[in-house]
Amino acid sequence: MSVLARPWSRLTPAGKVVLPLLGLLVFLTLALLVGFATGLIPGLIRFVGDLLGANIGIVRFVVAASAILLMSVPTAFVIIYMELKVIALMNLRLGPNRVGPWGSLHSIVHGLKVLGKEDFTPTGVDVPVFTLAPAVTFLAPVLGLLVLPFAPGLLGIDMNLALLYFFAVSGLSVLGLMMAGWSSFNKYSLLGGLRAAAQIISYEIPLTLAVVGVIMLAGTMSLNQIVMNQSGSILDWYMFKQPLGFVIFFIAATAEGNRTPFDLTEADSELVAGFATEYSGMRFGFFFFAEYVGVFILSALTTVLFLGGWNAPFDIDPVLNALGIRFDLALDLARLDVGLLFLLALGPVVGTLLIALPIWMLRSDWSFLKSLVIGFILLNVLLAAAVGVWLALSFEAVVGLGWFLVKTYFFVFLFVWMRATLPRVRIDQLMGFAWKWMLPASLVNLFVTALAIIVVSEVR
Amino acid sequence: MDLPGKGIFRGMALTLQKFFEPKVTVQYPEEQHDGGPKGRGRLILLYDEYGALKCETCFQCAQACPIEIIDMGGVDTKGRYHVHWGPPEQYAERREDSALRRSGRPVPDQSFVAYEAIDTAPLDRILADVDYDPRQMLTILERTQEAYGYLPIAAFRHISSTTGAWYAEVHGIAAALEHLRVEPPGGHVVGICRCPNCTLMGGGRLREALEAELETVIGGTSPDGRVRLVAESCHGESRLRPHLTVDGADQDDTTPAGATSLARRLRGHSRGRAQA
Amino acid sequence: MAQQTRVRSLDDPDVFVESPATIYDAVPPYPPRTEREAEFYHLRDGEMLINLGPQHPSTHGVLRVVLKIDGERVVDLDPVIGYLHRGVEKICENGTWHHAISNCDPLEYVASMFSEAMPVLACEKLLDLQVPRRAEYIRVLAWELNRIASHALFMGWLSLDLGGLTPILYGFIERDEIVEMLNALTGQRVLFNYLRIGGVNGDLNHDFMSRLGDWMSHAAEQVENQTKLINENEIFVGRTRGLGVVDRATALRMCATGPVLRATGIPYDIRRAHPYSVYNELEFDVPTREEGDSYARYLVHVDEIKQSIHIIDQVLHQMPDGTVMAKIPRWIRPRPGRAWVSIESPRGQYGAYVMSDGSDHPFRMRIRDPSFFNLSLVGHLMPGNLIADTMAIMASLDPVMGGIDK
Repeated sequence: MSVLARPWSRLTPAGKVVLPLLGLLVFLTLALLVGFATGLIPGLIRFVGDLLGANIGIVRFVVAASAILLMSVPTAFVIIYMELKVIALMNLRLGPNRVGPWGSLHSIVHGLKVLGKEDFTPTGVDVPVFTLAPAVTFLAPVLGLLVLPFAPGLLGIDMNLALLYFFAVSGLSVLGLMMAGWSSFNKYSLLGGLRAAAQIISYEIPLTLAVVGVIMLAGTMSLNQIVMNQSGSILDWYMFKQPLGFVIFFIAATAEGNRTPFDLTEADSELVAGFATEYSGMRFGFFFFAEYVGVFILSALTTVLFLGGWNAPFDIDPVLNALGIRFDLALDLARLDVGLLFLLALGPVVGTLLIALPIWMLRSDWSFLKSLVIGFILLNVLLAAAVGVWLALSFEAVVGLGWFLVKTYFFVFLFVWMRATLPRVRIDQLMGFAWKWMLPASLVNLFVTALAIIVVSEVR
Repeated sequence: MDLPGKGIFRGMALTLQKFFEPKVTVQYPEEQHDGGPKGRGRLILLYDEYGALKCETCFQCAQACPIEIIDMGGVDTKGRYHVHWGPPEQYAERREDSALRRSGRPVPDQSFVAYEAIDTAPLDRILADVDYDPRQMLTILERTQEAYGYLPIAAFRHISSTTGAWYAEVHGIAAALEHLRVEPPGGHVVGICRCPNCTLMGGGRLREALEAELETVIGGTSPDGRVRLVAESCHGESRLRPHLTVDGADQDDTTPAGATSLARRLRGHSRGRAQA
Repeated sequence: MAQQTRVRSLDDPDVFVESPATIYDAVPPYPPRTEREAEFYHLRDGEMLINLGPQHPSTHGVLRVVLKIDGERVVDLDPVIGYLHRGVEKICENGTWHHAISNCDPLEYVASMFSEAMPVLACEKLLDLQVPRRAEYIRVLAWELNRIASHALFMGWLSLDLGGLTPILYGFIERDEIVEMLNALTGQRVLFNYLRIGGVNGDLNHDFMSRLGDWMSHAAEQVENQTKLINENEIFVGRTRGLGVVDRATALRMCATGPVLRATGIPYDIRRAHPYSVYNELEFDVPTREEGDSYARYLVHVDEIKQSIHIIDQVLHQMPDGTVMAKIPRWIRPRPGRAWVSIESPRGQYGAYVMSDGSDHPFRMRIRDPSFFNLSLVGHLMPGNLIADTMAIMASLDPVMGGIDK
């Protein structure tokens, strides 16, 4: 053992990383050589390709699920940062400003901190339920992401019962909250869990009924189809055809996502932290992420159902044509010939210098090296922007995704804005509002919509 | 009749307006506000332009402090007495003395008795020999002890001020080494061997008897300053009895009782315990 | 409540042991010692005890309340106080009169200009001391500024306990300006120790006056902003209107004072009823409301801020010249006797009953803290309401635990 251990201990920390990687590289090279020489690897590839091709549905699901799962955490990070910053600015504070530019990496550090904390299981809890609850709570919004159409062609699964699936799956979150509240062996948690059950189940009804009007208009439950029905002008959006439904849906979504003014389940001035009182470390982090992913999917669903999803509010082409601006986006790099080589070799250097030199001349207190670094960063930003513009103008999906995210984050901002302003309602007011106002209003909306559809079809 | 939700929208309009207004946060470590001219946030002692404390030890602040958090000590204006205000336990002081101090009467403190002056001429010669090099402190101290017989406090002061070594450093070296002594040597020197042979022959009992009678330990001086007890070596020459010397002369009677009477004789019956 | 639970052993985490049921039992193991205990700890079907505080986020300070709840509804409650008890009155008796000023400071730590006035006013009464008029005006100025600071914080706390995040920060901006102003005047931000027997410690200075001028120019606007944010908010109004209604008889019987009493329609303000200092020379209204609920208490606070701004305006116009300290002996020894002084603090009548035996320290001192009497209304107000309402009621009574526990 010491034969290996002694040279190993003499390596520098970097060497301890590089050496195994080098070994891996050598091993892989050898394995590939042997594999191709014996024809083993091409056969394997062919076999796996056939297998995947035969089960394309499963492959699609696995890829979509992985992508969604990977996407959910950065989304939560962005929304957490947004919440911290926006509430701070509205409170006349500065908010996170230490980690990264304008504190933008704050929520990543937040996530790392949550990972590093002790994962504590208090005495007396119902251990399996207690352990499972955060996962269940986190899974519900993540599964909901699977059917959301982000852009034309960019969606996990195009289900024709997507809306039904969405409500079914997001209803799971109440299960996780109740599990957490019950198993924590804490009276505050118990009250929080029971409030969650009462509140979310009550608000599911107006939430679902408000959507029925949209379903009747669209004639389908596929979210992709609903978005496509809203393409055209801005007046085709269901927000204008279903204003009451839109308001009801938004209020019910606020309650469904446990957001202020309906954040009764973790009312921090009443129930300490509600169902999450006894949780610490990453288990608490799961609740935290679940809440923010929940905010995202509710905003996204509002966008999809009422704001036309990825449809642009106005068509930009006529405007450009009227102004006489035309883009020839078909880049033919082969035309550059040898010039391409020069462009690749000299472009970055010359670009960096072109940006760095004026900076260096203007800022006399900066060293040239610092100006170079800033120039390089600026060049990259400019290039990224250029590439983004090119992508947006040449691919429909990118511009659709852009519009979708703009609309979604507007609603996220609205949620955060409401949290910064409003106090919390009481549990009896909450339930009274759901049953006495929201439910009748959504029923009225349903009947009026049905009547309108009949009248319009009769007139035609 | 107000529209439903009017108050909510007014509030939200206000927060949106505040969203764009300048912020009031003070970025503390980078941006610090001073406490103002009257600020009383922290108790500090001020220094004058010569670097000396401005405090005159008048105790007015300590007297006025309602929660008795101020606790101060110092030397009175003529440099004679150590005075303080605060709990007596902190200054290893008896409560009666503390009460005297609090009443305002000066009480002499043994630790502030001025040191005796010495003739520094021999010390100056020694220091000139070693070129006032503080790195040769051991040599300086040993030769000073040869010259004066012991290390006077005044010598420490002089060495410290001429070589630039800290007083505490000089004193620390002298106190750490057994062969350097800070008090004047006693009249008689009683030597006792501590080799294994002598110890087996009864040296331990002898040492106990001497230490009890002289009221000191090996390396120290009896309280009246007349007898010094040191460790010697018999160089393997003791025969069937422990080695004991008085001022270099070998002694025959080395039983504990004999040593007791010897010590009593040397001290001239000046002990309080002998009469008792 | 009592139930056996299997928990992991501390010695061996793989072993599960039966935990003693009493660990988690809110009901004490001993038999009830009083009738009240027997009633409180007898849980009917569906009821449970829940412990609110002393570390709960919205009990102001270190108040602990044991609630007996049936679902979300509070059936009974048992407030536990004394977590902040220091025996201030006894500490004051052991020091001199000057020491008592700074010892009384932290009693009302939100508005300590009022609690530190107690020994000062009492000693002046015993000394038959005539305080210079300029000092009296400066005192009134400092008191009214501190009242606004305290009320601004109250408005924030009330909505924070109802779940609103923002008003508390706007309230703190207001309070911070005033506190910085008082820092320039007194040298401290929270525990001012500014009033002296026979006057105040130091005249008005330029720093203070310039800050005061700045603040006066936008004070009314800031109050408007606060009210715009929550006064008409349907959720806020719905939460507080009709909640915790105190009728006049109860308020008088429970010795409630200050905004709690004035919200029931009784215009009792010490500044008017028993004018002290120079309040009889100043013109101001005593705002009252008829409803007696949390919303009325909130509105009384808002109106009082406006009145305080009005008083400050008058004080600045009428401020006389002169010294700020009377000639007092270096060693203060009032005549033997008793004195009762009371002033109108932001929370009501702050009073002190002081005995002097002619020595340099108070012989006996008893402080009447309005928060204690106002807080004792919770026993009447809370049962029958929901858990969420306990916070709103408690915040609307605006207790400061420093004075309650003394």
